[in-house]
Amino acid sequence: MSMGELLASGLAAVFNPGMFLMVLLAIVLGTIFGALPGVSATMAVALGLTFTYTMEPIPAIVFLTAIYCSSITGGSITAILFKIPGVPSSAPTTFDGYPMAQRGEAGKALGVALLASAIGGLISAVAMFLLSQPLTKAALSFGPSDLFAVTFMGLSILTCLDSDHILTCIISGLLGLLLACVGQDKMYAVQRLTFGSRNLLAGIDMIPVLIGLFAVTEVFKQTDPKKKRISAEDGVTGGKVNTKMPSLKEIWSIKWTMLRCSVVGTVVGILPGAGATIASFMCYTMETKLSKYPEKFGTGIIDGIAASEASNNAATGGAMVPLLSLGIPGGNAAAVMMSALTLKGVQLGPLLLTNQPTYLSATFTTMIVTNILMVIVAMGIAKVFAQILAIPYSYLGPIILMLALIGTYGDQMSATSVQIMVLAGVLGLIVRACHLNSAAIVLGLVLGSMCEQNFSRGYLMSKANVVAMFSPVQHPIAFVLIIVCIVLLVSPIVMPLFKKKKA
Amino acid sequence: MFELIINILLFIFLGFTFFTHVLEAAVPQKVALNPYVLQPDVWPKTIIVLLEICLIINIIKIIKKNKGNPDFSLAAFGKSIPEFLKGKVFRGIVIMVAASLLLETLGFMVTSVLVLFSYGMLLGEKKLPRLAIASVCITLVLYIIFNGMLSVNLPRGTIGFLRSFALWMESVIGAVKSIF
Repeated sequence: MSMGELLASGLAAVFNPGMFLMVLLAIVLGTIFGALPGVSATMAVALGLTFTYTMEPIPAIVFLTAIYCSSITGGSITAILFKIPGVPSSAPTTFDGYPMAQRGEAGKALGVALLASAIGGLISAVAMFLLSQPLTKAALSFGPSDLFAVTFMGLSILTCLDSDHILTCIISGLLGLLLACVGQDKMYAVQRLTFGSRNLLAGIDMIPVLIGLFAVTEVFKQTDPKKKRISAEDGVTGGKVNTKMPSLKEIWSIKWTMLRCSVVGTVVGILPGAGATIASFMCYTMETKLSKYPEKFGTGIIDGIAASEASNNAATGGAMVPLLSLGIPGGNAAAVMMSALTLKGVQLGPLLLTNQPTYLSATFTTMIVTNILMVIVAMGIAKVFAQILAIPYSYLGPIILMLALIGTYGDQMSATSVQIMVLAGVLGLIVRACHLNSAAIVLGLVLGSMCEQNFSRGYLMSKANVVAMFSPVQHPIAFVLIIVCIVLLVSPIVMPLFKKKKA
Repeated sequence: MFELIINILLFIFLGFTFFTHVLEAAVPQKVALNPYVLQPDVWPKTIIVLLEICLIINIIKIIKKNKGNPDFSLAAFGKSIPEFLKGKVFRGIVIMVAASLLLETLGFMVTSVLVLFSYGMLLGEKKLPRLAIASVCITLVLYIIFNGMLSVNLPRGTIGFLRSFALWMESVIGAVKSIF
């Protein structure tokens, strides 16, 4: 089937009133599911599956794909309003989104997040449609050394997270990497760093640490009467919530940020593993490097939100490429999506294009349509959610704590996760007092395990020869990426020294 | 001073970990004897060594930065401890630690009401009857949304009557769901 025929069949499948209504319903459900802490994209697809039991395959595919896309976007709502990143890839969204919400610009922050998500998702969907086959082949040529280099590139931004405290950022990142080693080693199942606790055998889950370090610490901080605290009577923004969306001029000012991050996000997303997380952290740092005002990142600017959201949504879209073309799920949500599609009779893999081209085109077209409609629908939902900030903090603070508790408990159904979350909240206070960096700890924890596994595999394949692992002849991609990583890691340390000498 | 103490404690703890807890089980013979395998202890040990180096540099930096600072003393730090223990942040931590430990025993609903009420008071809410009613209402809304509508299995509690109450709530929600 040619590209044109594929597109026509996809449009014919999606563009009818019934299907359109179904996409709208799925977007509303998906965005609300995604915005609720404790309901991840994985769970949203699982919940959506119950609606599709009696549906024909194509409507079911359309419904599930729309839920999948919109639930990931919905995650940014809690990251901005409550500093609760539902998924690790939303963590960079909190850096600028939460300060904006605190300043009373929740509407603008949410508007940018949704628009950037839609553009990221749209670009990745179009890229998938046009380049699905070659992109899959390119992704398959990545070996463990290359994947290690990509993951390490995510880690190399450690020195860029806080230019005033580079050393403490490195310490924080290393602490995160060490936390990722807790539990059974992923390669040979050898027990490490558990201190005899059976609860730690499976390792430290990311969600409790994320929620604890970001949301719980923030409520603890607001409890301190010495700090400039939000009054008990007023909401976060003094009782007023500005739900004004970003102006066209503001959106135009971040066009290149959204484009760049969408492209990088799509490419990173196609690689198997934690693509969206690496993509969002990588793009956030890339934008701080390219920006004319890097010092403003982290203080609440729309560029930071756009970078994080465009890239993580593009990466999520990108993850659909190996899922559909090869039957390889890139993450948990993609794995549930894979089971759901298989249940509806979709034969995922290389034969999908030959045997069931309509299913493939329906998926791609739905992604495109969802990302366009999502801007309008999700903005309405986000405006309603933004009003939550007007609740007095003596009520909102405890509600945030309870949402954090449910979110953590719901992830693993375990009270141990809740205890880890509270511990992480206390750790967050210590981290602040010691000028360490919470984001760097999270980055280390998220990427640590993948970094170690890929390094281990590459080491084994190169017969314990580290130089061969990154040789420009055998592994040119890994070689180039490692050079970039070294430059990224060292430049923030070396550049100020050069500037001092010149002065 | 707090920063210095934490850095020193971390340094000691990591040193202890390096020698005692990096590997807590025997490495399989096939792995241990394979010269091409990256042994399971190499990665964490490398991280610990790097951390120890960074911590030493940081400790020196902290000492240099605070030279001559009268507040940078053990006595000043000792004085700040009782102040912290009497403070609201500490009480907030106690509430959350208690909630996390009692969650499975008391169940979601009782824990939620207690957290919402006690933390609301801690944050300065003066109208206690209103706070109490709000705590119960918010708990019910959260329970209906997450347990009833989204099937997130929240803990029922292990104490007899609390568990029975949770089961009764679930049956009520189930009955309402079956109507729709």
